Amino acid sequence: MSMAGNIPLRPHQDLRPRVALILIGAALVLILGRNLLPPGLMRAPDWLVLPFADWINVIFAFLRDDLGLIHVTRAFAAMLEWLLDVTANLLYGKNRWPRLGPLPWSAVAVSMAALGWWLGGWRLAALSGGTFVWIAVMGQWQWAMETLSVIAIAAPFSVLLGLVMGIMAWRWTWAAKLMNPVLNVAQSLPHFAYMIPVVVFIGVGPKAGAIVTIIFSVPPMIRMTELGLRKVPEEVVESGKMGGATAWQLLRKVRIPTARTEILIGVNQVIMQCLAMVVLASFIGMPGLGQKLLQLLQALKIGLSVEIGITIVLIAVVLDRLSKAWAMRQPVHHDETLPWARRHPVLVVWALALVAAFALAQIFPLLHQVPRAQALSVAGPLDVLVDGFIRLVDPVTTWLRWFLITWVLIPLRDGMLWLPFTAVLTGIAAAGWSVGGWRSAAVVVAFFGLIALSGWWDRAMITVYMVGFSVFIAALIGLPLGIWAARSETRAGRMLLLCDSLQTFPSFIYLIPVVMLFGVNDVAVVAAVVTFAAVPLIRYTIEGLRGVPAELVEAAHMSGTTRRQMLWHVRLPMALPVMMVGLNQSVMFSLFMVIIAAFIGTQDLGQELQRALSATDVGKGLVLGLAVAFMGLAVDHLIRRWSESRSAALGL
Amino acid sequence: MTRTSRPVRAVAFALAPFAFAFPAFAQDSGDPIVIPIHNWSSQIVMSHAIGQIFEGMGNSVEYVSTDSQAVYEAIRLGDAALEVEVWEGAFGASFDAAKEKGGIHEAGNHNAVTREDWWYPLWTKEACPGLPDWEALNACASAFATPETGDKGRFLGGPVDWLKHDAEKVEALDMNFTVVNAGSAAALWAELAAAERDKTPIVLFNWTPNFAEAVWPGEFVEFPKWEAGCDSDPAVGPHPDKVYDCGNPADGYLKIAAWDGMPEKWPGAYAVLQKVSFTNPQIAEMAKLVDVDGMEPEDAATAWLAANEATWKPWLE
Amino acid sequence: MTRSDPVISCRNVWKIFGPRPMDALAQLRADPQARPDRHVTAVHDVTLDIMPGEMLVVMGLSGSGKSTLVRCLSRLNEITAGEILIEGRDIGKMSESELIDLRRRKMGMVFQSFGLLPNRNALENVAFPLEMRGQSRASRIARAREMLALVGLKGRESYFPRELSGGQQQRVGIARSLAVEPDIWFLDEPFSALDPLIRREMQDEFLRLKAILKKTIIFITHDFDEALRLADRIAIMKDGRVEQCDTPDRIVLEPATEYVARFTAEIDRARVIHASGLAEPLTGRSAEGPALPGGQTLREMARHLVADRRDWIPVADAQGRTTGVLERARALDILLGEHV
Repeated sequence: MSMAGNIPLRPHQDLRPRVALILIGAALVLILGRNLLPPGLMRAPDWLVLPFADWINVIFAFLRDDLGLIHVTRAFAAMLEWLLDVTANLLYGKNRWPRLGPLPWSAVAVSMAALGWWLGGWRLAALSGGTFVWIAVMGQWQWAMETLSVIAIAAPFSVLLGLVMGIMAWRWTWAAKLMNPVLNVAQSLPHFAYMIPVVVFIGVGPKAGAIVTIIFSVPPMIRMTELGLRKVPEEVVESGKMGGATAWQLLRKVRIPTARTEILIGVNQVIMQCLAMVVLASFIGMPGLGQKLLQLLQALKIGLSVEIGITIVLIAVVLDRLSKAWAMRQPVHHDETLPWARRHPVLVVWALALVAAFALAQIFPLLHQVPRAQALSVAGPLDVLVDGFIRLVDPVTTWLRWFLITWVLIPLRDGMLWLPFTAVLTGIAAAGWSVGGWRSAAVVVAFFGLIALSGWWDRAMITVYMVGFSVFIAALIGLPLGIWAARSETRAGRMLLLCDSLQTFPSFIYLIPVVMLFGVNDVAVVAAVVTFAAVPLIRYTIEGLRGVPAELVEAAHMSGTTRRQMLWHVRLPMALPVMMVGLNQSVMFSLFMVIIAAFIGTQDLGQELQRALSATDVGKGLVLGLAVAFMGLAVDHLIRRWSESRSAALGL
Repeated sequence: MTRTSRPVRAVAFALAPFAFAFPAFAQDSGDPIVIPIHNWSSQIVMSHAIGQIFEGMGNSVEYVSTDSQAVYEAIRLGDAALEVEVWEGAFGASFDAAKEKGGIHEAGNHNAVTREDWWYPLWTKEACPGLPDWEALNACASAFATPETGDKGRFLGGPVDWLKHDAEKVEALDMNFTVVNAGSAAALWAELAAAERDKTPIVLFNWTPNFAEAVWPGEFVEFPKWEAGCDSDPAVGPHPDKVYDCGNPADGYLKIAAWDGMPEKWPGAYAVLQKVSFTNPQIAEMAKLVDVDGMEPEDAATAWLAANEATWKPWLE
Repeated sequence: MTRSDPVISCRNVWKIFGPRPMDALAQLRADPQARPDRHVTAVHDVTLDIMPGEMLVVMGLSGSGKSTLVRCLSRLNEITAGEILIEGRDIGKMSESELIDLRRRKMGMVFQSFGLLPNRNALENVAFPLEMRGQSRASRIARAREMLALVGLKGRESYFPRELSGGQQQRVGIARSLAVEPDIWFLDEPFSALDPLIRREMQDEFLRLKAILKKTIIFITHDFDEALRLADRIAIMKDGRVEQCDTPDRIVLEPATEYVARFTAEIDRARVIHASGLAEPLTGRSAEGPALPGGQTLREMARHLVADRRDWIPVADAQGRTTGVLERARALDILLGEHV
């Protein structure tokens, strides 16, 4: 900062590149002088590595045993379990109160179709009803209902909790200030990190699965509720006040109904997060499709895995479309002179169909339940097909595997591990400084510094290299694809639809095809991460390019630009800030995916996280989870800062 | 409960006279007996077999998929009722730790010895004739090299959550090997099958009882003999300053663990559980039904029970 | 309450937005020209009285503080200093429940962007204030139907706001504001969001309602023509200050400040000035013959003015009493433009 004193007249901004250059130089010196460095500059010395994990464990042991928090959490879990038992009974006939179930599958399918019709017309009805027919016919009813019985409890709980917390954050500034950083960290914590404390406090089984799902899915609901309440037009609130509404009436009858769309988008996100958790929560005993998929995939039964994968995807798409249709649904008036039945045709048809379904299920047991022995399956032929395909591409994948591992992955990994941690920190500081001055530099160095202090530096660097390489490949694929798609409206529309659908897939689903193609190894991990991470890049590239103001493009046309000039000099620079948002998401997605991919067998933080989960080591799990979160937050900070200043410079 | 109702009914039918003769079963609590299942086949099939026996006695049973290490904590707290396969080498430490905290105890012992350690199929001996001695293995480490391990040999370990301490062993014995963890048991067999095609040398994690013995003949690597405390006391074993400088127990136990509350809550089921005992071949057979014959674990359990009534019916008396 | 007591009375009202309004106020009181950092003075020492049954139009450009002023009158905004009396009671000292009660019985307000609840249909929107005060469902629905009929929306009761045009939405807003039979009616730029043709139609509708309902009205607008057309009195605001508060005739004839004069410069004054506005007291002068109706604008009686040969013409009020005399030459100057 002493330089600032020497050139007082220069604006602060101009110093940034200089300081950044100096920092990069310092990093280079550290790297070049690597062999001369004292070991303390290579890796954080032992005395600096703080036993965070032990501290956390002590705190948790105190909370759990000395404060007796475990009794509270267990009482809560017992209450939740009672609710879970009710839905479990209704949906798949678990032997619990009220002992009415299971409902015939035909009745459920008819109801879902009616819901689809009501919310979005006959297409949605067909999709929604068809999905449940598929589930029943494929003999997956029990598993699907096990899954849905948990979601049916977890999602409303999460919505309610999110609503209350969102209202608190909106109402009280201190609550918002408290929640914001917590939510930021929570949304970048890998899924596994949530599970360990839950196992400690709740145990395993459906209730633990439900709780981890609730915790994981609540942050977007809080965010959307707060956003929705803030967006309520002031005039609407004033009109409520002038109508003589009390504070409570205002909230309940004016603000919340007016924020309906945002709140329902929150509900949609909750449901999607719940589905993302379906497979992962089976690590701690959540029953259903996820557990089955995990078992089958581990047993390398590809055909059956694909069948279940399709079901999970179908459910995700149906629930996504239903909840989105609900969010976007606008009230429509009815002619008051029509009879009741004419005004509510869906209700009438649903009631009739439901009665019919119950009656027919009594006569034809197949409409009540499809036994697994009589279920259809495409697994056999699919397995043969996949097997043949794998044999066919085996030389390619084997070569690819060998090439990637020997010439790319291993050298990269070794390179990352070879770097002195001080050099990495200095380099990161340089990036921070060039983007946002000393504040940003301090923020990102703090994030990575804490990782160094946690003693997991090497593992973290492996994660960094996996994420970095995957995002790089994803960008190589995603950017040209996005640019290509953005050239025509129809193509862009189709591509965006595809991206939308791909984003509704729970992340775990991406592992099925890669395991199918590459088997269980590093290349499969990279392939899964690349696919997953390319989606946001494509999406935001298209949106960025299409968002360039038409006037600007017309002006450029009138200046006689060629297509190439238009892309490089007009469209891309204008779209860059939006594309960077895509890059940001891409990094977040790959971080999550790399951690999940521990299931395939990786050597990074994810593997250690899974080990911590196995050993129920809360401290270690949280430290590792936070290390992942900090990496994500640091990248998020850098990209966001850059994107904001760039947008401001472009006057967007 | 379509999926299980058929077999359950079959078992219930077979058991009906016993249920009549032993009204003691009626004392069992109506709450479901929660049986944890893990990620290897014999355990899943055995859990279902025992579960189906319980169901035949009129109990309700639920299966939850849990982590095989975390399960002892769950049993201790009563979240799960029992564990049908406690392997000494893999879970002895977790089991002992949980026993110390209280809430879990040993309810039975299978008539089986377990061993889990580094293992190779017989064709590997051609590339490394000195086997099964571990020093001979170390000497021909380069024969096991793969792209990801460079010039070191690859040891294919089980999934990380089995917590095998292979890396510690490599370190303690200063071996020229790198541990690469497979994602699942199936991945182990897939690699083994791939190696079989061109008879590539391979050394991987394996255990007995296991179906693999029947499919691929092979041997365990002979490490310095296990002595109690080798995993915790550096002084034990050949290297005075290292832990894990030894092989796994060659004749480990295979026990059944139960929650302390189980005898009181389900006395009938608990009485049966105490008598349960399977042998190595029986356990291998259960695994084979799933891993080789491709049956669903539930169906495999039903089939096994139907074929082996002589084994399990006496436990009900 | 006698008839001459004001319904609303503002005494030196200040509204300053910013982190430390009281400090800014002290600064401004010391030096009225001061511009305190990070503070915006939306209402600057305003004193006004509004009489029962009167219609006051507050006119100003955007940012002049007119909307803030009206929100202070209903205490949607808390004022920084001064006091506001409604029927003699200081609303700044009212408790939350007294305030809510006041709004439920005495006040109605119409908003620029209508402020309708999107999830309720027209009927339920109009019934909203009645619901808030706990009226039974049947009675509030009946009342809401009546109000919708009054604003000409019969048959659209079950339509949702997004299914109605802007003009129709504002009719719903008007119906809602009138549902509780308020004594005081606030209208915050009610027609600004509408296109010109609809605006004209709504103004006529408004004048019709005003004639039927006889309420005390505070009407905000940025449109000077609209103000002239509707007002009994106009308060012209600039930078939070009331520049002039007077009848339209007097504002046009005698603008108090340069700023007001700029507004009136382009106005066709003959359309604005009424006979009564131009009339001078009878003192000493005798005027004979038929009198002009005081409520008509010069434009409306242009033909008569040109034809009438008297230099001084009597002007009568609505009851036919002579209230003053009008100098024909001056009226003709205004009508035809000066220096012709």
